[in-house]
Amino acid sequence: MPPEPNAANGPAGAGPWRLAWRRLRRNRVALGFGALFVLIVAFSLAAPLWADHVAHTGPNATHTLQKVEVDGERREVVDREGRPLGPLWLGAGGEFFLGADGRLGRDEMVRLMYGGRTSLLVGFASAAITTVLATILALFAGYYRGLTDTVISRTLDVVWAFPVVLLSIALGVTLAVGGLDIGPLHLSGGSLWIPILIIGGVMVPYMARPIRGEVLSLREKEFVEAAEAQGAGPLRVMFVELLPNLASTIIVFFTLNIANNMLLEATLSFLGVGVQAPATSWGTMIGSGFELITSAPLLTFAPGTMILLTVLSVNVFGDGLRDALDPRARLRLEAHAGIPAGELLDPVEGGEGSGA
Amino acid sequence: MRKLGPALLVPVLAACAALGLAACGGSGGKEGGTLTGSYASFPDYLDPALSYTQEGWTAMYDTYLPLLTYRHADGAAGSEIVPALAESLPKITNGGKTYTLTLHKGLKYSNGKPVKASDFTASIERLFKVSSPGSGFYESIVGAEKFAETKQGGIPGIKADDKTGKIEIELTGPRGTFTNELGMLFAAVLPSGTPARNLSADPPPATGPYEIAKSQPGRGWSYARNPVWANTNSKLVTEVPSGHFDKIEISVVRNETTQVNEVERNKTQWMQTTVPSSVRPKLVSKYEGTQFRVEHPINIYYFWMNMEEAPFDDVKVRQAVNYAIDSAALERIYSGGLTAAHQILPEGMPGYKPLNLYPHNMAKAKQLFQEANPSDRNITVWTDNESPNNEAGEYYQGVLSELGFNAKLKTINADNYVGVIGNQNTPDLDTGWFDWFEDYPHPNDYFQPLLAGESIAPSFNFNLSRTDVPELNKKIARLATEPLGSKQEDEYAELDKSYMELAPWAPYGTNTVTTFVDDEINLDSVIFNPTFGHDLTSFELK
Repeated sequence: MPPEPNAANGPAGAGPWRLAWRRLRRNRVALGFGALFVLIVAFSLAAPLWADHVAHTGPNATHTLQKVEVDGERREVVDREGRPLGPLWLGAGGEFFLGADGRLGRDEMVRLMYGGRTSLLVGFASAAITTVLATILALFAGYYRGLTDTVISRTLDVVWAFPVVLLSIALGVTLAVGGLDIGPLHLSGGSLWIPILIIGGVMVPYMARPIRGEVLSLREKEFVEAAEAQGAGPLRVMFVELLPNLASTIIVFFTLNIANNMLLEATLSFLGVGVQAPATSWGTMIGSGFELITSAPLLTFAPGTMILLTVLSVNVFGDGLRDALDPRARLRLEAHAGIPAGELLDPVEGGEGSGA
Repeated sequence: MRKLGPALLVPVLAACAALGLAACGGSGGKEGGTLTGSYASFPDYLDPALSYTQEGWTAMYDTYLPLLTYRHADGAAGSEIVPALAESLPKITNGGKTYTLTLHKGLKYSNGKPVKASDFTASIERLFKVSSPGSGFYESIVGAEKFAETKQGGIPGIKADDKTGKIEIELTGPRGTFTNELGMLFAAVLPSGTPARNLSADPPPATGPYEIAKSQPGRGWSYARNPVWANTNSKLVTEVPSGHFDKIEISVVRNETTQVNEVERNKTQWMQTTVPSSVRPKLVSKYEGTQFRVEHPINIYYFWMNMEEAPFDDVKVRQAVNYAIDSAALERIYSGGLTAAHQILPEGMPGYKPLNLYPHNMAKAKQLFQEANPSDRNITVWTDNESPNNEAGEYYQGVLSELGFNAKLKTINADNYVGVIGNQNTPDLDTGWFDWFEDYPHPNDYFQPLLAGESIAPSFNFNLSRTDVPELNKKIARLATEPLGSKQEDEYAELDKSYMELAPWAPYGTNTVTTFVDDEINLDSVIFNPTFGHDLTSFELK
């Protein structure tokens, strides 16, 4: 007997994605932070425009001995004692908007924008790697069970046993010197793909374990039996039958992974084993600005604020996405917390909020 | 850490109280206690046979004594070589080929065992067994080269008599720097049978006023007074002071600003590391003369270029790099602590004559680069992660990119930097940053280990430019056999010019270091030896 239409399942006739979009639209906070994230991405993507047309310098161009004219006065970008220029805002037509980054006299604003590109790239690319690897491993482990599950799960347990930051540092230090050789593929030690692969790799167990649990559960459903009865092979069952049912979970994990991976990148870069100089990321900027935190605090606070806003926006939007895609998870939360069902649930247009 | 048993403690304390001996810890409240200090990174090694950094030498200056040492004094006085475990300076005979010394009678290690003349032989042999970066200094001893290859049969050129303490060292030829080399930490005497492996985590027994009581590589180490020093060794080794503190605890604090904060807050009493340039102006104005002092060790900072491989096998490319480097920018990167220099020999070293063959000229640099038109423009630039050397590396990478190279920067942890770039198996050793502080006050020290072809080694290689010019190698070898005089100094100046014409390096300056102590330490008493750095025996409370 089909379930009664309710907040979780929506009105009869509406598809699950349409329902999810409706729920997400009602969540103004999540949408607001989603918009903030889009702004941050746009800010970072606009780096070459700002660099070429406003700051007239690149992210790695040094200006140690140069002077800029501010209100008719020639000021040194770096003084004789190595102190960098503070923020000029628009005093020099946008040049050194946030000042110079340190003794090399690079434009802090330009580096902040380019650093955002790097941090976002590392966050997205590593989250994509994590998602693909974790999903494949979870599908194989959950579908085949038995020895396959044991081998995959115990291997993931070994990786899980190491603290993620320590494991990443160990890999980062090792690969920073000799680079990485995988068959014909060679990555030099300074390549941006080194931190991407490290972060993407070490986060796999954190995503694969819960997805595997969901596969184990879905594996017992009738639609799997039906597909097998119709002659579907294991790969078809895994990638055509099971994978679409995991989509909402995977999407939510993906967004949350972006935030986690950006934080991990910032940690590793701060410690000198993530993104390698002269490339810049918000983590490396915090690392280099930290030395001047008393005399030029903006060098640390600006990239720190960008990381905070990005991670916050992705997390809040990811939470909203989870609520929209899997409202049952929220119902379970309500039941677990002893809250009357539906009290926390946002009413969904069309009468979906009539109660569970 | 060694402790006195209760039965022994009572009479010793009673004797101290009765006699008021300084060595027992009661000189007007200024003796005894614990000195706390910090390093930004753990020294390369806490093993005298292996360490080749000033950090390591500072750490072991008062622990492992050679037959000779350098006077515990600041400035030029600290460059004077004086007897340590030997009774006197060596007697040099046989046309400069035989060095004879006599070990003090009655010396002991901190474990109570006697120091024997044959321990010197074993210590030199250990240098070769552990592939010490300093072993090259002793290859001129008869039989040493063969021993370096076979590691067997001993070094026949060293004759040691345990009964008389007489040590006779025969060289293959005269060597004008050998007395200096006997004063290097590499020649510190360790007990025979000391394992031929890195002992940084388990330091061997000491002969100096302090022993390393505990070592935790990467984290820190601590010293205690050598229990045999006060009653035995100090009476024989009169040139080495006894020190004022009973214990010294050194911790590794990676962030230099944190190191400064800890000294300001009296959490640590001294930082070995030079203060970061960001806080230097503040410290100068607030503490200069009371807690802060600028020191001027003899050193040169430079970028090396691998002459063996393209593109730096072309002298025009190397000269172009020299023209492209702007020392004025690097002076700012080093926050005014660096003085521009453009030659091999630093100011203060015998033979120094000011030289600048490549005044900054980017147009000329680009012209030379175009003339050379190197086919391989993909290069790797190496630097360590300590500020501002990392920024100097970034600056250098930027200059090379502007010149036309596709330059990638590799920044290596300072703890491992020397090991990585000195290992020939490390790929892409094209060019990079380095500095060199004197091993001893002799110009040979800036040519033989850094530029002579014979110094190119598979590991611990300091001839990073892999310079091997037979004609100049011969000149270095010849000058090394002669005692240093004005004629030799002129020849070293010419050698400096000859090398700079070949431009294996792009030297850019000599740097200062700093002494920063808390308000409890008497800054005036702190000695900064030009070779070994801070002398731990000189620290005392106000």
